[in-house]
Amino acid sequence: MDYPSEDFNRELMLDANAIAGLLHEIFGVEMTAAPAKCANCGNEAEIGTLLAFTHGPGVVLRCSACENIVVRIVRTPDAFYLDARGADYLKIQIG
Amino acid sequence: MQNTLDWQIASVKDIKIETARVKSFTLTLANWTPHRTGQHYDIRLTAEDGYQAQRSYSIASEPERVGEIDITAERINDGEVSTYLHDVLIKGDRVEVRGPIGGYFVWEASMSQPLLLIAGGSGVVPLMSMIRHRAAAGAKNPTTLLYSSRDFEEIIYHNELDKLQAANGNLLISHTLTRSQPAGWKGYARRIDESMLQEVVHPLGRSVQVFICGPTLLVESAANALVHGGIMPNQIRTERFGPSGG
Repeated sequence: MDYPSEDFNRELMLDANAIAGLLHEIFGVEMTAAPAKCANCGNEAEIGTLLAFTHGPGVVLRCSACENIVVRIVRTPDAFYLDARGADYLKIQIG
Repeated sequence: MQNTLDWQIASVKDIKIETARVKSFTLTLANWTPHRTGQHYDIRLTAEDGYQAQRSYSIASEPERVGEIDITAERINDGEVSTYLHDVLIKGDRVEVRGPIGGYFVWEASMSQPLLLIAGGSGVVPLMSMIRHRAAAGAKNPTTLLYSSRDFEEIIYHNELDKLQAANGNLLISHTLTRSQPAGWKGYARRIDESMLQEVVHPLGRSVQVFICGPTLLVESAANALVHGGIMPNQIRTERFGPSGG
């Protein structure tokens, strides 16, 4: 594509839509259309809008407004580790 | 009922070459469920030693096609999954998939607002699912696809888009070619910018629903330009479609 980004990490950046399956696995419901609030800047937006960095050993989701880390996820052979301290809340729809 | 997150084995029914770097794969699914356009399937490959690689691919086909889906994938150099799909997979092979997945970047024909779809490169794939669904459902909402490619040969679905436009007075396909243009080219010949967006948005009116899919820079510059031009952020849905599709 002819819309180059300024650095390699941004070139590989996706958004949380790309890990919709992983989020669904962890939370048990579709999450990308649900809202979350950034604990740093207060931006409230659908989880699908979070910037996703998927090329490390885990996944990092950042706020699309201030780019602070909202959620980090690591998968091991028998567990998920979820660090969501960058979120004031995540909404998990139950019906 | 099949859970959308359960892995299942799909059979490769057909492989179609779209461009030099892009192929479409028709997958037959025993546990098929109708998708919402814009949703994905995850594809998982397992090596003999147990190593697994998994990627998310947008569905290209319309949900009216029962029992099968098309995914369209760009070959990413050094990509673990796309190189396998492109270089190894043949008709009759089986691959492990799960889906449909996702709920943010979705459109259904019951959403009747005018529709503006903005694509960069293979970002056109989920938008093609929307266009095919719109045609299959007989939706009449005015719709424009603004589609940015590097050059003429890289336009995916070119003939089908032309045919859909010719058959439907409410569908407008507008191309821009950013690197080179063939002789006599009548479309745009630059990156998507604010004046181009104003031209395509104006006929659709203020209540337009916008979906943008492409590389980050295209997605962000188009979304920012639309908001600057008076479109509300909640009318715009975006999906970044990076080379990390791998």
